[in-house]
Amino acid sequence: MQRRTFLGRTLLGVTGMASSSVLGLAGALTARNAHAADTLKVGAMIPASGPAGLFGPSSKNCCLLAQDDINARGGILGQKIEMLFGDAGAGPEAATQTALKLWKGAGVRAFVGMHDSAVRGALTTMLRAQVPYFYTASYEGGECSPGVYVTGETPAQQLAPVIPWLSEQRKLKRWYLIGNDYSWPRETNAIARTHIASSGGSVVGEEYVPFSVDNFDASLAKIRASGADAVLITLVGGASVSFNRAFAGLGLAAGITRLGTLIEENTLAGIGVQNAENLYSSAGYFAALQTAPAKAFAARYQARFKGPDAQLNSLAESCYEGFLMFEELARRAGKITVPAFNVASEGAHYDGPRGRVEMHQRHVVEDILVARASPSGFEIAKTFPAVGAGQSCKV
Amino acid sequence: MTAMHASALATMGLDLLYVLSILALTAIGLGIVFGLLGVMNMAHGEFVMLGAYCVVFIQQRGLPTLMALPLAIVVCATVGWAVECYLIRTLYSRPFDTLLATWGLSIVMRELIKAAFGAGYQNVTLAAAQPLQLGTLAYPLYRLELMACVFLGLLALGIWFGRSQVGARIRAMTGNPVLARAVGVNTTRLASLSFVTGVTLAGLCGVMLAPLVRVEPYMGLDYLLNAFFVLIVGGFGSVAGLLAGTGIIGATQSLTANLLDQTAGYAAVLIVSILFLWIRPNGLIARR
Amino acid sequence: MVSSRAANRLALVLISAALLLVPAVVGDFDAYQIALYLLLGIVTQGVALCWGNVGFLCLGQAVFFGLGAYLSGTLLRAAMQQPVMLALLPLCLLLPAAIAYLLARAVFGRKVDNGPFFSLITLALAMLASLLANRFSGLTGGFNGMVDIPDLPGTDRYATLYYVIAVVSIGSTWIFCRLLRSPLGILWSALEQNEERLQFFGFDTGRLKAIAFAIGAAASGLAGLLYAPHQGIVTPSAIGIGMSTQFVIWAAIGGRRSPVGALAATVIIGLVSASLRDRYPFWEALMALIFIAAVLWFPQGLSGAVAPWLRWPARWVRPSTSLTEQQAPALSSGAPSGGDAVPHLQLQDVHVRRGAVRILDGLALESRTRGICCVIGPNGAGKTSMFNAMSGRLTADRGEIWFNSQSIARSPAWRVAQLRIGRKFQIPSVFPGLCVRHNLLIALWANRLSPRDYLRSAPLGWHSAFGKRLLSRLPLLQQRPELAAGSLSQGARQMLEFAMVALMEPRLMLLDEPCAGLSPAETQQLMEVVRWSVDHLGASALLIEHDMSALEAIGGHVFVLHQGQLLAQGALAQIKASPEVRKVYLGGRK
Repeated sequence: MQRRTFLGRTLLGVTGMASSSVLGLAGALTARNAHAADTLKVGAMIPASGPAGLFGPSSKNCCLLAQDDINARGGILGQKIEMLFGDAGAGPEAATQTALKLWKGAGVRAFVGMHDSAVRGALTTMLRAQVPYFYTASYEGGECSPGVYVTGETPAQQLAPVIPWLSEQRKLKRWYLIGNDYSWPRETNAIARTHIASSGGSVVGEEYVPFSVDNFDASLAKIRASGADAVLITLVGGASVSFNRAFAGLGLAAGITRLGTLIEENTLAGIGVQNAENLYSSAGYFAALQTAPAKAFAARYQARFKGPDAQLNSLAESCYEGFLMFEELARRAGKITVPAFNVASEGAHYDGPRGRVEMHQRHVVEDILVARASPSGFEIAKTFPAVGAGQSCKV
Repeated sequence: MTAMHASALATMGLDLLYVLSILALTAIGLGIVFGLLGVMNMAHGEFVMLGAYCVVFIQQRGLPTLMALPLAIVVCATVGWAVECYLIRTLYSRPFDTLLATWGLSIVMRELIKAAFGAGYQNVTLAAAQPLQLGTLAYPLYRLELMACVFLGLLALGIWFGRSQVGARIRAMTGNPVLARAVGVNTTRLASLSFVTGVTLAGLCGVMLAPLVRVEPYMGLDYLLNAFFVLIVGGFGSVAGLLAGTGIIGATQSLTANLLDQTAGYAAVLIVSILFLWIRPNGLIARR
Repeated sequence: MVSSRAANRLALVLISAALLLVPAVVGDFDAYQIALYLLLGIVTQGVALCWGNVGFLCLGQAVFFGLGAYLSGTLLRAAMQQPVMLALLPLCLLLPAAIAYLLARAVFGRKVDNGPFFSLITLALAMLASLLANRFSGLTGGFNGMVDIPDLPGTDRYATLYYVIAVVSIGSTWIFCRLLRSPLGILWSALEQNEERLQFFGFDTGRLKAIAFAIGAAASGLAGLLYAPHQGIVTPSAIGIGMSTQFVIWAAIGGRRSPVGALAATVIIGLVSASLRDRYPFWEALMALIFIAAVLWFPQGLSGAVAPWLRWPARWVRPSTSLTEQQAPALSSGAPSGGDAVPHLQLQDVHVRRGAVRILDGLALESRTRGICCVIGPNGAGKTSMFNAMSGRLTADRGEIWFNSQSIARSPAWRVAQLRIGRKFQIPSVFPGLCVRHNLLIALWANRLSPRDYLRSAPLGWHSAFGKRLLSRLPLLQQRPELAAGSLSQGARQMLEFAMVALMEPRLMLLDEPCAGLSPAETQQLMEVVRWSVDHLGASALLIEHDMSALEAIGGHVFVLHQGQLLAQGALAQIKASPEVRKVYLGGRK
């Protein structure tokens, strides 16, 4: 190589590395010292990538809406909220790193998380109740770690009243359980079995698929062969979409009822309403909810956030609820520490888009809705009022 | 009972054929680039992704979906030509470095698409969504169309490659480039054309697959690995090898997935590929 | 050579000081983050060792890292109930090393130049490993990961564990640097440049590669051991291809030949990426472009760019003490090649066929004499092929080849060399990147260097009495021993290669046109040396030669080959007079 080009390239290389190091260092430092100590930093862990990535944009929007609404009311304990976002979709390890950076690096005082159970498990063991942690997504139940306040739905809410009702409505006897391969589907299915048994049905198949699987032909063949008349779906995000589309594509939708606990508006849009015949979803909120507070909330959301990515859905709305609960607990406790929150949590309640939500045993009692997919999206088929979470966590 | 049994079997058969078709489809492009030219193109899956995102792009603008085909051809051919000219050409004699450089390229392509479209999953709507009813058997019409396309395409490719001059010239060029140049084969242009054709085929494959699979920035990796495994097991450089590889990999995956589960199916494919890489790296139907 | 060693040493000292001062300067949390990348840097060093210094690339290094991490997590969790489990922690290094060794032996044992396929195999293994880690959630925690891993006893992950990690990473860098300077390191370097040549000195290159791979794997396992208590969680992402390719990218950018560069690149790029990745959506794309640039134009990476700047201050740092000269151990005379007995070579009905071409067609030849025998014949007669069949480059389909009652027909090259058969190639084949002195050292080490000596510095100063007298006859080689062998002239290279073959003190020398490309004066000088060596060693030599005058000067037994068979043999005058030979081949002059 010519000496000139060698020197030139060397200089280029060294300069490039040096400047990016300086940039990086500067970036890291400014992130730390950017804002005055007058704001209350709250970490929002929502998925921006990975299997649950499709909930990302809408969740972020709801967090921003919550930030604005709470700050308009004067903030929390007199301080305005500053929201710092972390990507919870890149797997438990990466999410732990991100949360750690927000906590120890940026000085976050509380976390609100809408992500999968694997990340929740990792975060709770990392945080060890040093800061309050609000978990807002529907999950499998059983989270009693100290310092964790769960506003997400549990199977006791999403399945216990729903399975008997649906079985009776649609005459369902033989259930097939299919989900992704990790803790939430497995534990949910374990609980689902008891509810299915108690409503007179039986489980004819159970299957777990890795996140990377795209082709559900083998599973669909098994479903058909098993003679199931109902399928309980605990697949996440993209997997749920692929499965449901293929399900309808192979002509199974007419004869088999599908029930999912994580099928919200974005997933339904992905599946396509023409593929969603006899598809039911149960959750604490749907964008189609017609109560006054829900309609007001939806109107405000749609006025501010437009675009197909940002469709309002139950998971994103759960972030908003999580912030409302945080606000309420902080108001009752008077300071933002886990012991104070523990004392304040029992009986804390507020009225939000979902209606009245009350906290007991660090879980919530709220109305549960069952929605059916129709050509115009979800329509609410049944409301179960004030269903308890069925947990027995020590406060 | 017998009718249901028969239709279940028929569905299983069609499923297997579908898996084989997708495998063959994704492997054709790499078969030309890796099998004929000898370039380990680790960005192959990203060209498939490019094709799929062309469909997303067209649908987001509300244009007729069929326009995605010419768009994909133009995009992939342009990118492919640029890549061959500036990246691959300097690395023909360094297979390792080609592997790494194209891996870097795949990251660049992935990140650019992620920046443009977001990291989430994209929905591609399908016109022929309703299943085709054949007696008690219901099967998605689009899949049947795809399988027919693949079959015809492979047939055409096999005939053209075996009979035409270009096939012979490509074989000459990879066998002995100096001699090929000496007898008047324009190796630079031929290599560029082959590479561009290979990646464009990959892009078209992406267009065809977009309604059936998950469209997201990381979708390419699976296709790359499957295509590699097909070529390694079957042997590169011939359509027969491509078919053999497709058959073995597809059958292994389907059978194991049906007997055990999806994870076991993929693990079986990996194990078979590792064994072939170790014991018979030139594949079943070696070129020489 | 010396200055780059000193540069490395200076860099190491500076970096060690910097690392130990980090917590005081930037605080505990930043130190915690740096510690993570120090650990990943150790794994990168393992990748860089195999890739830059030995010449094969592992695309699945995270398998060893993840295995060490999962093992460590399991043992640490179990140790909360039974502290005796801590004694099993060394498994985190030993198990990955064992797996790596066996894998490399299996893959490189079949075909030596298996490079790209080895990489693909490791890639597939990484995928398989992450599949299994996801699947067996009972053992590994599956997708959720292994959580609640306690601290390493006696440390706190947010405070004191940093020092442990810093010391370990400094230690690993120092070990890698020392390894590269040891005889093993020089052998690796030679392997990367000319693997086949190294085999002809009796070194089982497959085993050398396996050793390198095992060492890299052990380093990765060690990093995994510390990773588990540092993070408190291990998930399948630590064992899959995403992580593995990240190591390769860091190794490429940092400099795959330099342990220091690998570590530095990991820390710098890792830290910068972690903070910038979320802010700038194009960051990863930029990193990938830098990686491509490194692959295309900067094989030396960052360290190649920085090293010249370090050489200037490094002059102030004293290099290590000069090597003491030492007599090389004698070649074991109890070797199967039978000590002082007359070397006996016998080819029986050897057939070699490639496609339709019969390269050797029932070749039968016997030589039981000391001194030089010439092998002549027209082009394509099979002279070089005969040598190839004898030294493991060509496998005989049928027939037998015996040397001192040992069958060598289907032996690999290194085993043939261990029987003290030396081979000189027609196109001189040396180690172009190593200096002349190291080239000769490697030849001296042939059949003398035991595995015990691989890591000692003494063999770097070996000499033999025969070697000294040989080199005194080749002044061209003694002029500049530090010159890279690749920059020698053709003549000098021929002499160098012959000197290397002779230094092996072989019982049988296979010399393939040793004077090809030499001027008449050089030819005469080299032939002098050849004759003297053969006499002095009491060895037998087969010399392929075309030049009639050279043949006449040697005057020994002559074998004439034609179309893969022995046409005639005898004294030169006899051969010249033979009508068959005349019909087939009339020798020419140079």
